[in-house]
Amino acid sequence: MLSQLLRLFRENRELSTFVVCAAASFILLGLPPAVKEGTSAVLATVFLDPFKRMTTGALELAGIREENAALRKIAAELAAERAGLMEYRYENERLRELIGFFVSFSEDERFEMLPARVIGMPGGRIIERIELDKGSRDGVGSGMPVIVPEGLIGKVVGVSAGRSKIEPLASASSAVSVVIERSRVRGVIRPRYGPVSDFVSWGVDYVPARSDIRLGDLVITSGLGGVYPPGIAVGTVISVDENPLTMSVGVRLAVDYATIERVFVLTGTREATPGRSDLEARLLDELVGPGPMPEETD
Amino acid sequence: MRIGVLAALAAIAVIADATLAPEIEVLGARPDFIVLVVVYASLLVGTRPATIVGFLAGLVVDSELPEYLGLHALALSAVGYVTGGVWDHLVRGNVFVQCTLVFGASLLHDVVYYLVYYRNHLDMLGPFLLRYGVPGALYTAVFGAVVFVLARLAGWRAIAHDA
Repeated sequence: MLSQLLRLFRENRELSTFVVCAAASFILLGLPPAVKEGTSAVLATVFLDPFKRMTTGALELAGIREENAALRKIAAELAAERAGLMEYRYENERLRELIGFFVSFSEDERFEMLPARVIGMPGGRIIERIELDKGSRDGVGSGMPVIVPEGLIGKVVGVSAGRSKIEPLASASSAVSVVIERSRVRGVIRPRYGPVSDFVSWGVDYVPARSDIRLGDLVITSGLGGVYPPGIAVGTVISVDENPLTMSVGVRLAVDYATIERVFVLTGTREATPGRSDLEARLLDELVGPGPMPEETD
Repeated sequence: MRIGVLAALAAIAVIADATLAPEIEVLGARPDFIVLVVVYASLLVGTRPATIVGFLAGLVVDSELPEYLGLHALALSAVGYVTGGVWDHLVRGNVFVQCTLVFGASLLHDVVYYLVYYRNHLDMLGPFLLRYGVPGALYTAVFGAVVFVLARLAGWRAIAHDA
């Protein structure tokens, strides 16, 4: 029987190989759990673990590469975003420098403009004070002129750390030295009152008779007195009455006080550079195009 | 030489089964790369080496699950033995024949494996084979076609042409 079986195995080597493998498999399956554990551990340590380590390493490497690529992409996006923001910053600074927050009323001085918000306007028909949300810690000081794009508002008369008070041109005690822009006739603008002290209008006083003043002439600050820089718009001539010694000139103010919300405090002066800087010239060219070429002279 | 190549392929297949197969799973079906290697081992080096390769590769896979140590070894050695015997009666240089053989080999592996695995719940065997065995075997057969095409492109006569 056994010899027949051995002969069959010798004659059919393929079948015998499979039977041996199958028998070994069943023996392994029938081993006690503890032995199985030990055998599996040995097999895993010898055959599987080295491959696992290699595979895990490769997968981790692939993960790191993926993460690296993602981070590079984010870095590139951030760099592009930063470049864009920097461009806005430079543009902002250039525009501020050029047209925004510096203003010149004469050739030899230039003012820095501090934007401020109106937070109070106590008073009745006559506006005596205007409160702003900027104070000494922002660089506001007493006596500084306050303007809006349309013209003069008044001057700072009281300052705390975070707030300031303005005496507007419209207040009863206001008196500002002005000049008729076209004819350079000087005078002082102040409010006028009716018979019962009600405010009526503004007028320019101390104007000599027969001065060259016409309806519609622009009234600007003269710069006398040292408070207001010369050249700020104050109003427009709306009436002219001739008297024997002086003229009575009625003025409509350039600024409508009822609607102002934001103003600029002229916080300091600095010497204006003669002519236009290269930067300003270049930026103006970018904004409005180059001017005509200067003609050649002999 | 061929045995060395087969051992390397078997090692790669074991790794691919553990790492790549779960990644390319489709509706629960995974390709069985070890079956693929054993099938082509039987074609390249004959039934006996293929049976031994299947047994050894199965043992390595079984070491992951000690409770069933020997089960993959049994199923894969059966695959090596059966496919090796069948090859002698088939036209080898035909992609459909090879795919069908790979499909059958994969199914045989699953039948042997789950027959032992569910020996106490044989009613589970049919549904399980239908749900996972057949789709997995089809998936593996697709890879059999890929191997055939690559072998033909590489001019590997043992696989892509009749002996």
